[in-house]
Amino acid sequence: MDRQPSPLWTNSSSLLRKTGTWRSAKPEYILSPSPCLGACPVNGRIAEWIGLLMEGDVKGAWLTLVDNNPFPAIAGRICHHPCETVCNRQQMDEAVGICSLERHVGDVAMREGWSFPVPEKEGEKSVAVIGGGPAGLSAAYQLRRLGIKVNLLEQQPQLGGLLRYGIPAYRLDKKIVDYEIRRIIDMGVDVELSAEVDDQHALQKLHDEFDAVYIATGASQSKALPGLDYSQSWVIDSAEFLSATNAGEPCSLGSDLVVIGGGSAAIDVARTARRLGKSVKLLSLEPEHLLPAQKTEVDEAIEEGIEFVTAAQMQSVSKDGGSLILECIRINFNQGEERGKFTINPVPGSEFQLRTDAIIPSIGQDADTSRWQSLLDSDGTVVKTDDCWQTSTQGIFAGGDVASMDRFVTQAVGMGKQAAAEIGYYLEQLLSGSPVMNANETEFSEINTNYFPAAARNKQADLEVDDRLQNFSEVQQPLAEDHALAEASRCFSCGSCIYCDNCYLYCPDMAITKLKHGYEVKSDYCKGCGLCVAECPTGSVVMLEEGQGTA
Amino acid sequence: MDMIDYPDGEQFSPGHVACAGCAEALSLRVILNTLGADAIAVVPPSCTAVICGGYPLSSVSIPVQHTTLESAAASASGVKRSLNALGKTNTTVVCLAGDGGTYDIGLQALSSAAERNEDILYVCFDNEGYMNTGGQKSSSTPLNAITGSTPAGKLSRKKNLVEILAAHRIPYIATCSPAHLSDMSAKIKKAASIRGTKVIMVIIPCLPGWGVADDAAVKTARMAVDSGVFPLYEVEDGVDYTMTIDTRNQSVNAYLKQQKRYRNLSDKNISDIQADVDKEWEYLLGRARK
Ligand SMILES: Cc1cc2nc3c(=O)[nH]c(=O)nc-3n(C[C@H](O)[C@H](O)[C@H](O)COP(=O)(O)OP(=O)(O)OC[C@H]3O[C@@H](n4cnc5c(N)ncnc54)[C@H](O)[C@@H]3O)c2cc1C
Ligand SMILES: Cc1ncc(C[n+]2csc(CCOP(=O)(O)OP(=O)(O)O)c2C)c(N)n1
Ligand code: SF4
Ligand code: SF4
Ligand code: SF4
Ligand SMILES: [Mg+2]
Repeated sequence: MDRQPSPLWTNSSSLLRKTGTWRSAKPEYILSPSPCLGACPVNGRIAEWIGLLMEGDVKGAWLTLVDNNPFPAIAGRICHHPCETVCNRQQMDEAVGICSLERHVGDVAMREGWSFPVPEKEGEKSVAVIGGGPAGLSAAYQLRRLGIKVNLLEQQPQLGGLLRYGIPAYRLDKKIVDYEIRRIIDMGVDVELSAEVDDQHALQKLHDEFDAVYIATGASQSKALPGLDYSQSWVIDSAEFLSATNAGEPCSLGSDLVVIGGGSAAIDVARTARRLGKSVKLLSLEPEHLLPAQKTEVDEAIEEGIEFVTAAQMQSVSKDGGSLILECIRINFNQGEERGKFTINPVPGSEFQLRTDAIIPSIGQDADTSRWQSLLDSDGTVVKTDDCWQTSTQGIFAGGDVASMDRFVTQAVGMGKQAAAEIGYYLEQLLSGSPVMNANETEFSEINTNYFPAAARNKQADLEVDDRLQNFSEVQQPLAEDHALAEASRCFSCGSCIYCDNCYLYCPDMAITKLKHGYEVKSDYCKGCGLCVAECPTGSVVMLEEGQGTA
Repeated sequence: MDMIDYPDGEQFSPGHVACAGCAEALSLRVILNTLGADAIAVVPPSCTAVICGGYPLSSVSIPVQHTTLESAAASASGVKRSLNALGKTNTTVVCLAGDGGTYDIGLQALSSAAERNEDILYVCFDNEGYMNTGGQKSSSTPLNAITGSTPAGKLSRKKNLVEILAAHRIPYIATCSPAHLSDMSAKIKKAASIRGTKVIMVIIPCLPGWGVADDAAVKTARMAVDSGVFPLYEVEDGVDYTMTIDTRNQSVNAYLKQQKRYRNLSDKNISDIQADVDKEWEYLLGRARK
């Protein structure tokens, strides 16, 4: 910087005086993980992409999003969004609607037709991916980005796994599924449909032919309800019921149904049946406030006229003419310490009957681990993997529902991403380049909330109940463009600089220089007061004792 | 997020000797850059005098006349009239004075200049005491505040200088805070565009004088505004009051507790201060509504 010495009686500028010698601590710019990043199953750089959205750069936001997750439009509809439960903004008013913003970005990308590039350089190595659900597709996507060839084998006639055959269309329109999968396949994934890898021999063959194998076959076997005769025509498997309905060929049933189970899948079955015009009761061991399904799902199901019979157990079934009689009893449900380790005690004398035409048990899914028995160790429920998602056989990796009890779409996407990185390293010592972050998560106390005006969360609207039951249209409506922008600007950008210039402008010593994208502290003049840190809204600059480093 | 917006420039240089974290240096940065190159400053003895100078070095790009503590407004009137005589009528003449030099020792000069409606911009950095001389009380020091010359806390209330100035019916008076930089810049700009005597009072939480942490001057100023202790407002022609911020969102408690000069306050002192702030606030709102 050229400064003229001041004229008149003083003969030189104070620039000659290096007040930086007064200092004992110096500010340092850092990039720290936001709490939402830590909670996000794909470790999405949420603060960063919402920041871009705030600036109006939707394309930039999308590019940052798809670095970790190729399914923003899907995740934006059905992710269980653990990010929002830890959002720092909650401590001021309400969490940022991260999931609704993800959907917004995903929808804009579809409207604009943004696509993924085909890898510039094709590598020599090729990987077989078994299973075209979210885990397998996420792995295929990340492997293609590394230039690794991918052969994707899927037993169904179409890709998507539970995205297509499990999750009902009123929560996730299948056009969205088609679109976001096509975008991955267009990167040059070789797909074989209706190609079941049936047993360990077929797996061994793939292991011989390919440089590595990734197993993402999900958890396709319905858990059996003890004492229920599944061979009867009035017992319908929940997975089959959903998959047939999603495929547009609903199973033929009577007009009255009882769904057994209290999880999200049971609610999906019940709400799907309502849309087919059935009258539906949902029978669960848990009392209503302990149902494993999310509260909003339960509320929406009640709105749609599903009758909840909670804290009750079916004891036997008998036929009475054309219909069934379920002998039930009230129970005391004890949650227990761990998930799934509950106990129940029937309440004597509380017996009652339910009359219905068919039963759809929906009490969970198991992974089929037995078919790979001699090649892959399992712990009985899931295939065993090490820290690198490698199974007991070298070169065979696994992830998603088949290898984990974290049964959510984005968990599967995250596992697929991690496995791809491990496979890339295993095959070619490739390292994926994520930005280096400071170790500490940005806490609420580091946010200067004075710069964020109070603003209520922009909520997504739901379709009216009467309209919902007519068909399978999506219930949850998108945020309007201006609401999405307003919602984005509620984000504190925890730990990510937003180039607001506060640090620069609040320095009483003009000791910060603006760079093209960022800032630099002038050691000659910074007195170490810490005002820049105190007035940084986002917690992106910290004071360090002289001589200390961050990383 | 609310962005700060003002025309930053290079009118004020690093290497000045303000304390680390000084809100007066921060405010000078905003004021000097808002005024730009076509201005002359008149500075009586005060922290500002020290920050601008330190012979033979200067941190300020515009000419600065160092004058006596009694005479800032009179000197500025002379400088302005000389410039007019030279035909340089557009040059802003700005006094940069402390509260001691404004409320007490320079008050007669300021009152006379205001009475004559001299075309000067007078900025008072109100750190509520004689601070560069070690922290003695001035008539701006608030009730109960400990200073070097009020070791048991000041016994009288802070003088309301804005009302004294308003009684002169000068065209513009405004209050500013270093936690509201865009507003400070806007008010300086507005004042500079008006002919006649303009006075801007800036609250300056003095780090050693008030006993606040090096990084807390802005925070303390923000609390002064948010609690209503130092309301942001404008007075035009001595009668038209406009609130810049007409809501308060906290009690005086946190503001007082944050400062060592209030370390001996009893609960009774605090509730008395709160009652006084409430009364003054209502009075001010009433004026603004008329
Ligand atoms: C009804 C229902 C609703 C759900 N709703 C949600 C929700 O709203 N949000 C959420 O986050 N999660 C939800 N989940 C959970 C989520 O769908 C799963 O955790 C996720 O799909 C697991 O992904 P995956 O890729 O591991 O398995 P899957 O999605 O099951 O995909 C596995 C794929 O592998 C194929 N395959 C299996 N065996 C073979 C083989 N031998 N050879 C070739 N191909 C094979 C299958 O056909 C399938 O396409 C829901 C689950 C269910 C059942
Ligand atoms: C007539 C006169 N009395 C005393 C002094 C000594 N003196 C110099 S600066 C100063 C304090 C000024 O206080 P203030 O105007 O509030 O400025 P601050 O130091 O707080 O910035 C005093 C008392 C003086 N220069 N002239
Ligand atoms: S405020 Fe923004 S960056 Fe911070 S936790 Fe919430 S969504 Fe993440
Ligand atoms: S505000 Fe300026 S002087 Fe103070 S620590 Fe930051 S860079 Fe240094
Ligand atoms: S104050 Fe603003 S520009 Fe400076 S580090 Fe913080 S977010 Fe970035
Ligand atoms: Mg003073």
